[in-house]
Amino acid sequence: MARGSIPILRVANNLLVTVQTELHDAIAEAFQEDLLAAIEKTGAAGLLIDVTGIEIVDSYVARVLADTAKMARLMGTETVIVGIRPEVAATLVRMGYTMSGVRTALNVDEGLALLPRR
Amino acid sequence: MTQINYMNRLRLDERELASRRAFFEITDEDLARLATLRAFGERHSTEIVDALYDLILGHPESRTFFTDERAVARVKKMQQQYFIGLFGGRLDLAYVEDRLRVGAAHERIGLAPKWYIGAYSRYLRLLHDRMFAEMSPADASAAFLSIKKLVAFDMALAIDTYNAANMDTVARHQAAIRELSTPVIRVHHRVLLLPLVGTVDSHRAEQIMETLLLKVVDEQARAVIVDIAGVAVVDTQVADHLLKTTEAVRLLGAETILTGISAQIARTIVQLGVDISTMHTRARLADGIELALGIVGRVIVAKEA
Repeated sequence: MARGSIPILRVANNLLVTVQTELHDAIAEAFQEDLLAAIEKTGAAGLLIDVTGIEIVDSYVARVLADTAKMARLMGTETVIVGIRPEVAATLVRMGYTMSGVRTALNVDEGLALLPRR
Repeated sequence: MTQINYMNRLRLDERELASRRAFFEITDEDLARLATLRAFGERHSTEIVDALYDLILGHPESRTFFTDERAVARVKKMQQQYFIGLFGGRLDLAYVEDRLRVGAAHERIGLAPKWYIGAYSRYLRLLHDRMFAEMSPADASAAFLSIKKLVAFDMALAIDTYNAANMDTVARHQAAIRELSTPVIRVHHRVLLLPLVGTVDSHRAEQIMETLLLKVVDEQARAVIVDIAGVAVVDTQVADHLLKTTEAVRLLGAETILTGISAQIARTIVQLGVDISTMHTRARLADGIELALGIVGRVIVAKEA
């Protein structure tokens, strides 16, 4: 899948992304590049990634998500990941991959509340 | 459970039947031989069943299962049908189903396998005596071996039924215990409480995590209080499980508060060198509830006098 396949929405000063396909390697990388490019272009204050649609998150995808959040922070953008499924959370923790440092919320509403309002 | 369920439960299909028949070495010849003895079986059925119940009713323990005279008359009649069934000359799924019904009936009244194995032994002796009295030694020997195979086949079915019923009971109890062991309580809108009692091993910890995570999403909970006051032993493993659960809950977007930490537990945790500084912890459940309410934007205030 090519770059630009996951739509990035702009809501006020934040970026909103809903991931609805499984993020295998190629997509994950393109996804990260897209997001960083969008941050660079818009100077968004916050980034919300909704992963409700993802049923399988392996350590690679988890790292891509966590790294994206760290990269975004370097660029001055706060990231919140919302909608991690219970089974995904259990798997990540079992693998010892807890995405420490990444903020999480139950749903999009709560995630937006965590982001800066500028 | 009906005998149909036992058929499924024991996976008794044509293949299994063929496999059992082969192992018990029951040939078509055996069945044909038994079919020719049908008249013999019918002639002796009343007398043999009576002798069987002399044994059962004569034993102080087995007698207790059959206290009612009318019930005895009824089971004797059933037993007679069962007995004549041995001379049917067929061994198909219908036969098996019929045998399972007998096993299930015995299981229901709590008649342990030792009683019917003993009864089968009496059956065989009674048959042995009558066969050798009425037939040539060669015929009697062949007939007795055939009936012995079929009786062994029936015994196996009866024991399997008994086992399956017991396994079902155990499974039901285990499910009940599982349910009891992770009661997730809704304390307030978006606040959950999980009081842990007993021992927490890896298996249970996994299950606690799964149940809790599902509940957090279901209730859209923001705060989860885990009270460990009732946990027997808090060691490195338990602490590790609690940390993992906290991390998983955090991934969903909720916070965990650990309460019920006694002086003893606090000492153990520090002495073990377990770092749980990333968790909210409180000694008392009441304090944990206050903290949780704070997370959902509520406070407890005193009523004006």
